[in-house]
Amino acid sequence: MFDTIAQYEAEIWQAIGETFIMVGFSILAAVLVGLPVGTFLYLCRKGEVLENKVAYQSLNLLVNTIRSFPFLLLVVFMIPFTRFIVGTGFGTAAATVPMVVIAIAHYSRLAEQSLLDIPKGVMEAAVSMGASVKNIIFKFLYVEARSGLVVGLTTSTISFISYSTIMGVVGGGGIGDFAIRYGYQQYRTDLMLYMIVIILIIVQIIQYAGIALARKIDKR
Amino acid sequence: MITLHNVSKQFEQFKAIDSVSLSINQGEIYGIIGASGAGKSTLLRLINLLEVPDEGEVEVNGKVLTSLKSKPLNQARQSIAMIFQSYNLLGNKTVYDNVVVPLELSGIPRKDRQDRVMESLQFVGLESFKGQYPAQLSGGQKQRVAIARALANQPDVLLCDEPTSSLDPNTSAEILSVLMNINERLGVTIVIVSHEMDVIKSVCQRVTVMEDGKAHETVTIDPTGIQTIDHSAEGYVTRLMKDGGRGV
Ligand SMILES: Nc1ncnc2c1ncn2[C@@H]1O[C@H](COP(=O)(O)OP(=O)(O)O)[C@@H](O)[C@H]1O
Ligand SMILES: [Mg+2]
Repeated sequence: MFDTIAQYEAEIWQAIGETFIMVGFSILAAVLVGLPVGTFLYLCRKGEVLENKVAYQSLNLLVNTIRSFPFLLLVVFMIPFTRFIVGTGFGTAAATVPMVVIAIAHYSRLAEQSLLDIPKGVMEAAVSMGASVKNIIFKFLYVEARSGLVVGLTTSTISFISYSTIMGVVGGGGIGDFAIRYGYQQYRTDLMLYMIVIILIIVQIIQYAGIALARKIDKR
Repeated sequence: MITLHNVSKQFEQFKAIDSVSLSINQGEIYGIIGASGAGKSTLLRLINLLEVPDEGEVEVNGKVLTSLKSKPLNQARQSIAMIFQSYNLLGNKTVYDNVVVPLELSGIPRKDRQDRVMESLQFVGLESFKGQYPAQLSGGQKQRVAIARALANQPDVLLCDEPTSSLDPNTSAEILSVLMNINERLGVTIVIVSHEMDVIKSVCQRVTVMEDGKAHETVTIDPTGIQTIDHSAEGYVTRLMKDGGRGV
């Protein structure tokens, strides 16, 4: 086993690196864009401070459409857009574009859900104190929803890893692509198995760390 | 201090508040009583525009809240504190951090905040609990923290929605005496909504009785004061024997 791994070491490291790039940018997009989108969705709901039926329904439709798109088809469908953004439809950078899009849609929904779990009274208290929308978000919503937001991001990250495994179709590389190229196309089942084990270990670590952090910051 | 002028509030087809007018004087403890669903909470929430009336005018402390834009409305709300039956504290913030929130919102300079928070906590007798989280406190203690938070911004008005309805009789009495203290020592105008006759009778000077979204009547009463219950063993015996006791 170790001989085989040693033989392919450089390639395996590169595959891991590619996965980290794709998933890393996805996480970044989830937090920087998905979280605000999810927050906006929440605040546009009926009875909330930014109540806006048109904004809610259109954004909701967009998020649902992206999420229900079969991911492989989304990747292919987006190639012209990807080419426009990064100049090429092929490679790890190109693969990151559809990953980022699905990441935003995925996490915005989970973030909205975490915010919905906050007791109604928290918002009442915030509004009664005369909090601005910005203060409602940062001094009330994110404080009370923080462990839900962490659990959501953990779940999303694990999904991003899963999405990243098919990015071989646009030359994105990554652990999944390595497993498919050797395990499926060259009948190296052993190599495929090692890759699966690596992914399982990464997922377990993320899951464990995410849940531990969520517990630690939950004082309710 | 507070004037509601023909306010109405409808939820879908249902008229929760039907053209209510009332006026509450500066320094008063004012009660709103009525059966469950009568519209008491909605009426109270109209005072700080937590519910926006469909019709009518709300005036608090000389400002017509119903004609304010969101920024001045939020500013006005910082002098209209509110406490709730379910306390509505932030579970992820310590007692201290809960009480400091309104000071952050109103832009009190950082260096002045600590004194203000500790003053508020002292008023409710919880200064030694400043590092605890709400989950570690009893119901009565949580309501005290909510009161401390309400006091932090030195409000003119304190709105109380069923402030004692989740508490046992003794804890209720303690909370009511804190509220009376706030009224007497700090001159804060207090509006209390409750379905409990004892609560209203013990502290309120004027009371509006609500029914089906309408103000049925407003009466002036002499508050009876807060009844505290004797918790000594002998106290229990006396009360057991008082009505129909047959011997020890
Ligand atoms: N946000 C709301 N949406 C729909 N109906 C409501 C809402 N708030 C209150 N109501 C209805 O208005 C009526 C009065 O409610 P409320 O003011 O809470 O009564 P009370 O506090 O006297 O028990 C009730 O029938 C209640 O169901
Ligand atoms: Mg009520």
